[in-house]
Amino acid sequence: MATSTGERIELEARPSLPARGLALLRQVYRARTAYLFLFPGLILFTAFVIYPMLYSLRISFYDWNVIKPAKSEFVGLDNYQMLLSAPVFRRAVLNTLAYTAITVPGQMTLALIVAVLLDQKIRGKTFFRVAYYLPVITSWVIVTLIFEYLFNSQAGMINYLLRDVLHLVDEPIRWLADPVLAMVPINLLGIWKGVGWSAIIMLAALQEIPGELLEAAAVDGAGPWSRLRGITLPLLRPTLVFLLVVLVIGGLNVYISVLLMTDGGQPLDLTHSVLTLMVKETFDRLNFGGGAAISYLLTAFVFFISVLQIRLLRRRVEY
Amino acid sequence: MKRKNWTMALLSGMLILGLVLTACGGAEEAAAPPEPTEPPVPTEAPIEAPTEAPTEPPEPTEAPEPVAVTYWHTMSDAEVEAMEEVIAMFEAEHPDIHIEMTRYAYDDFKSALLTSLAGGEGPDTARLDIIWVPELAEMEALVALDEAMEDFDGIAAKTFPGPLATNHWKGHYYGLPQDTNTQVLLWHKVLFDEAGIDSPPATLEEFKESACALSKGEEQYGYAMGGTYFWAPAPVFYAMGGKVVDEDITTAEGYINGPESVAAFQMLVDMYNEGCLSPNLLGGGVGTSDGHATGLYAMIIDGPWMVDIYKADFPDFEVNFAPIPNGPDGTTSSVVGGQDIVVFDGSEHKEAAMEWARFLLSEEAQLKMAERGVIPTLSTVIGDPSLPDYFGVFLEQLKTAQARVPHPQWGDMDGAINNAYQRMLRGEQTVQEALDQAAQEIDALLAQ
Repeated sequence: MATSTGERIELEARPSLPARGLALLRQVYRARTAYLFLFPGLILFTAFVIYPMLYSLRISFYDWNVIKPAKSEFVGLDNYQMLLSAPVFRRAVLNTLAYTAITVPGQMTLALIVAVLLDQKIRGKTFFRVAYYLPVITSWVIVTLIFEYLFNSQAGMINYLLRDVLHLVDEPIRWLADPVLAMVPINLLGIWKGVGWSAIIMLAALQEIPGELLEAAAVDGAGPWSRLRGITLPLLRPTLVFLLVVLVIGGLNVYISVLLMTDGGQPLDLTHSVLTLMVKETFDRLNFGGGAAISYLLTAFVFFISVLQIRLLRRRVEY
Repeated sequence: MKRKNWTMALLSGMLILGLVLTACGGAEEAAAPPEPTEPPVPTEAPIEAPTEAPTEPPEPTEAPEPVAVTYWHTMSDAEVEAMEEVIAMFEAEHPDIHIEMTRYAYDDFKSALLTSLAGGEGPDTARLDIIWVPELAEMEALVALDEAMEDFDGIAAKTFPGPLATNHWKGHYYGLPQDTNTQVLLWHKVLFDEAGIDSPPATLEEFKESACALSKGEEQYGYAMGGTYFWAPAPVFYAMGGKVVDEDITTAEGYINGPESVAAFQMLVDMYNEGCLSPNLLGGGVGTSDGHATGLYAMIIDGPWMVDIYKADFPDFEVNFAPIPNGPDGTTSSVVGGQDIVVFDGSEHKEAAMEWARFLLSEEAQLKMAERGVIPTLSTVIGDPSLPDYFGVFLEQLKTAQARVPHPQWGDMDGAINNAYQRMLRGEQTVQEALDQAAQEIDALLAQ
């Protein structure tokens, strides 16, 4: 944070305002080709992202009539207030935070193991890379349906394994009929589907680490574990921070798997994620104001937590 | 140094924003109507007294430029094939009108429709699930057909009263019943023979006995329903004499938690606890249609479309229908389903759209659709020899079937009953407690 005196000193040290304006114009002119290329993208971004965003901000303050917007009633912060006191919303937030807290470390740990293993000189490397990446490129809908089938309480493979092969349980487990147990397949799916992507990113970063560093450490007597802790992980740090930020955003935005597996929050609206609740409020209950408010609360939270992560974690990397 | 940090923070902020927006891109865009400046509903053709001259000038008969009327629906493959023929018949009669139909998945239909209407790009007509009509009428999205169509009363008089009533909201009719359906009992004859039961149950008491006699632990269940949403228990609920609200839709107190309604749910909960009702209704189990065909479920309750579904998925399976067993008062009942044809207030071709609605209610169109399992809404075609044989049991059941509450908040009422049913099945509340809570929730909705 710059103090006010620091700011003034900086300002005084600069050339006068018109001169600075001129310099800016000259700069823009020199880079005119670049700006020209940026322009069409900016127009699209404004029309399809910025404008709808501001528009839905407006919706979130209204009891919105989607067919006749002019008849919408301004309700101020009522939509937000209603949400924050609604048990269904709190439960959805809890589910989403739990999903993020479980799947992000899960994906990153497994991905690190996979990436380190794939970085070794082993046979069939390409096969494993493809195998681990395959879930990533498969459609969410398809893998969700597969998981739903695996976790079917009456005909699912998981119950068959648990009961008839391993004899761990006496009764079939009703995975998707229970609001807490339903989180098991949802989170497992989130981890399983994401590992490959994180692993490939980590693998790319691992291959950037100069071999001499690791060799020198090995000569100095460092074992594999201390090489990982002392060299690999610190050098991977920027990649890990990047993955953390992106995966947390992805986790907070979990939607398709929850929607399909829980049939939109069943049972008892206890299995919603924030986004499935947003869609239900908006399109099932036609509460467009409430839906827009949910999207703003989520966006604000994601923005806040991402900036926080970057500022906290990036700074330490610098020294 | 500091400046650079801020620039970085800003840039990373933008990046994050971009990621957030791509992550929930579809939903964000859908939630925000793209064109707020233009009123989405042009009201240049107000529907006044029917005595007014048609708002559109009569087309010259010589070189007609066909008016395109859009028609959205959620039909099955078989229905679409029949509908293509119906459209051809209509266009032959009306060379000045061209029907453009668009098919949507049922689950996506409401969101697609609403976003299009909000953007002023909605269809002229649509085939809506009967439970959506009051909701859209309340939003002023629909034309009151009883005002706009001079011959409305004549057409309405030829339809079944139950399906027609689903178009009624606040003193007006906002659509016409395009097709109807109800649920009846499907019984697995082979399993019945094995258990030595020679006929489907005639009373709900027998129904419960048969269901328990046909249950063998996890191997086989006497009865299964697809979920806890109201449509699933509705036939048994209505046959037991259950009521959701009073006739004037003013209160649920004493109705959804009245003795008949409680008895209906109590019977289902008992069946579940005794292992005669499959646990799949709580979610994550084997679906009813597969389970019934493969012999896991001896009885299910479902609609006329099952004939086509089994024809495609289990061609060797013999479907057997029977009426919903009689309740304690000796009468049967079930739940009315179906679709209504509506004309949108934003349409620029209302006259042509209404002509299309008229045609869909004609005998030739209704009989054509019936060939593919769509039950007609015209009482005048009943008994027509071209109707499929299995329609008999459905048409008979329709005489006593009841409509769900025609109210814009029905979705939330359904949710309240659904949750009550879940809580009683899970043993969290007694049937009475759960339904008392549902009554309170529904009354709160009615008070809004």
